[in-house]
Amino acid sequence: MMLRQAAKKALGLTSRQSTPWSVGISRSYHENVIDHYDNPRNVGSFDKNDPSIGTGLVGAPACGDVMKLQIKVDEKTGQIVDARFKTFGCGSAIASSSVATEWVKGKAMEEVLTIKNTEIAKHLSLPPVKLHCSMLAEDAIKAAVKDYKEKRLKTNGVGESSQA
Amino acid sequence: MNRARKLVASISTLSTRRRTYSPSSTFRTISINSQTHHSSRRESFQPSSSSAKPLWLRFSGREFSSGSSDTTSSSVCWNCGFLSEKAAFLFCESCRSIQPIDDSVDYFQIFDLEKKYELDAGSLEGKYKDWQKKLHPDLVHNKSQKERDYAADQSAKVTEAYRTLTKRLSRAMYIMKLNGKNVNEEETITDPTLLMEIMELRETIAEANDSKELDQIRSQVQEKLKQWSDSFVEAFESQRFDEAVKCIQRMTYYERACEEIVKKL
Repeated sequence: MMLRQAAKKALGLTSRQSTPWSVGISRSYHENVIDHYDNPRNVGSFDKNDPSIGTGLVGAPACGDVMKLQIKVDEKTGQIVDARFKTFGCGSAIASSSVATEWVKGKAMEEVLTIKNTEIAKHLSLPPVKLHCSMLAEDAIKAAVKDYKEKRLKTNGVGESSQA
Repeated sequence: MNRARKLVASISTLSTRRRTYSPSSTFRTISINSQTHHSSRRESFQPSSSSAKPLWLRFSGREFSSGSSDTTSSSVCWNCGFLSEKAAFLFCESCRSIQPIDDSVDYFQIFDLEKKYELDAGSLEGKYKDWQKKLHPDLVHNKSQKERDYAADQSAKVTEAYRTLTKRLSRAMYIMKLNGKNVNEEETITDPTLLMEIMELRETIAEANDSKELDQIRSQVQEKLKQWSDSFVEAFESQRFDEAVKCIQRMTYYERACEEIVKKL
């Protein structure tokens, strides 16, 4: 028992020694991240089977994160009118997907495909170790758009054949 | 240099070595004559080693093969010059001094295990404690600063090795790393079946409120972990590394889910 405690103490010592930034500097989330975490916008789900909904489901296996981002598209104009997200992961991942849902609203689909993870990361002041969270959000947007387009192709194909 | 000398010595004493197996000499000082050095090495090992098998038993039959994996490096003790052929030379049995870190020593070597995924986790704890009894920084207060630094490094490495090998997932990732397959890449996955399953699992955990329900979910997830751990072994041993990576990914997701459950409990 004592040996284990001593071992833990030694490990605590050495890990403190090996992380030079731990003394004095506290690592904290940027206020934008905290804002999105405390007041997340657009949390929720749309009906996956609704033809005007595109669902993007992506994951980061390295840290076990999973992110679902859904867009509601106006069929006539091709504009995204609403968005929802559900993310299981760290604060940065949740904030990134929250930001993504805010940014896609009111934009055309082609436009949102140009949203870069670096912009999201900059907005949230994400540290380098959390950059992949913003990448996940970018991938989620692209996946949602892709899903919507594929659904449209399928329904259009069915529609045309039934009309003919 | 040492190794070349040893090799030459081995070849030259090929016929005579077996006869000099049990000499009467028990001196431990550095001997320039490699023949007597080898025999004295074996002799000195016997009284001091208590838990480990005597070196001569371990290496009998393998003395003449320079290509065997365990004798890749022969290390010399910085304090007394004792020549060790142990794969993981962390501690000199002859003068009881702690050795500096050797980066080529991997975690399996530290615990004297084969480099494979399946291992006897029960013996691991015992070996870990044995190591800490020799290496722990608390035991070297009256030694030089250099040795105290070695103790801190070695003790931390052994602890890290123990933690990595005890848990299935970290062991899997480590063994993949040893084989040059880096698992921890930041690439997004889009496998709908897996992701939907994990989504549902995490949602269930988030909605579950009593500990009984959470325990139930946890045992289900542990089941899955075991299942995928077995799949990993199979894939890894058949060299299907892409599949092995997928197994590890799944295991990571299940481990995260378990952590969430523990947080809630």
